[in-house]
Amino acid sequence: MDKDKVIENLKKELKAIIANNYKDIKPQLEKDLTVFFQTSKEKLERWIVLFSSGDLTEEEFEWLLKSQLDLTVLKALQTAGISKIKLNTIKNNIIKMIIQIITNLIIPAV
Amino acid sequence: MKHLKLKQLLFFIAISFAISSCNSTRTALFDQYSYEKTIELKVETNQLMSKATTPYSANKEEIEKLFLNLEKLIEYEKNKPNNEITFEMLKMLNDKDKNLLAGFFKHWETKGIESKLFLEESKKQISEAFDLLIQYEIKKDKQSKEALLDLINLNK
Repeated sequence: MDKDKVIENLKKELKAIIANNYKDIKPQLEKDLTVFFQTSKEKLERWIVLFSSGDLTEEEFEWLLKSQLDLTVLKALQTAGISKIKLNTIKNNIIKMIIQIITNLIIPAV
Repeated sequence: MKHLKLKQLLFFIAISFAISSCNSTRTALFDQYSYEKTIELKVETNQLMSKATTPYSANKEEIEKLFLNLEKLIEYEKNKPNNEITFEMLKMLNDKDKNLLAGFFKHWETKGIESKLFLEESKKQISEAFDLLIQYEIKKDKQSKEALLDLINLNK
């Protein structure tokens, strides 16, 4: 499995979903996602490998992804302050999207 | 005598400036107690999480003690002025619906025993969350120093 390809496809699909479903907050959401991918790339790659090899269950993988988003919010709190936090409000939608996309990308390859 | 009074007046003006600059940054000052307690919590959490490959029920007493210490720190931070960010960060750690500290222990309780690989990965996540809190407290010290330096430079 090509980890870079999975991440790239994930980004591409997320951008398309955002463009179609979150038009109103597209710039902010894209910015948040870029930060998320920049700070999480290494972990995402590792978790994708562990998930696809069966070392992490889907539930554990989802838990870790959510924890990474919570960390991103925590980091944003630390650097930007409370009023600028928007990512959290759409966190669950992003997680659902990521899980669905990764599962679709990984399962055919297994 | 007049010279002394003038010096006193200048001193009071400088103090007033210092107080107003601290308020304008809207960030609490660095607190050694918060810094030490957060580090203690990080170490205790790390130790306790290492036991998550054993049953949750066997560690319940220690887990309760950890959360009592966390509650104490949250209460302490809650009442400090201009400290909303630290308070919010700690609340996130203590929120069972977030996947950070309390979220991990909720997961462990539900599962009974955690898998080794999941534990390794989640430990890194919680440790990082504590590091953010610790770094933020240190940043307050830097901000206070910068505010003080600004004040000194303004009064030169």
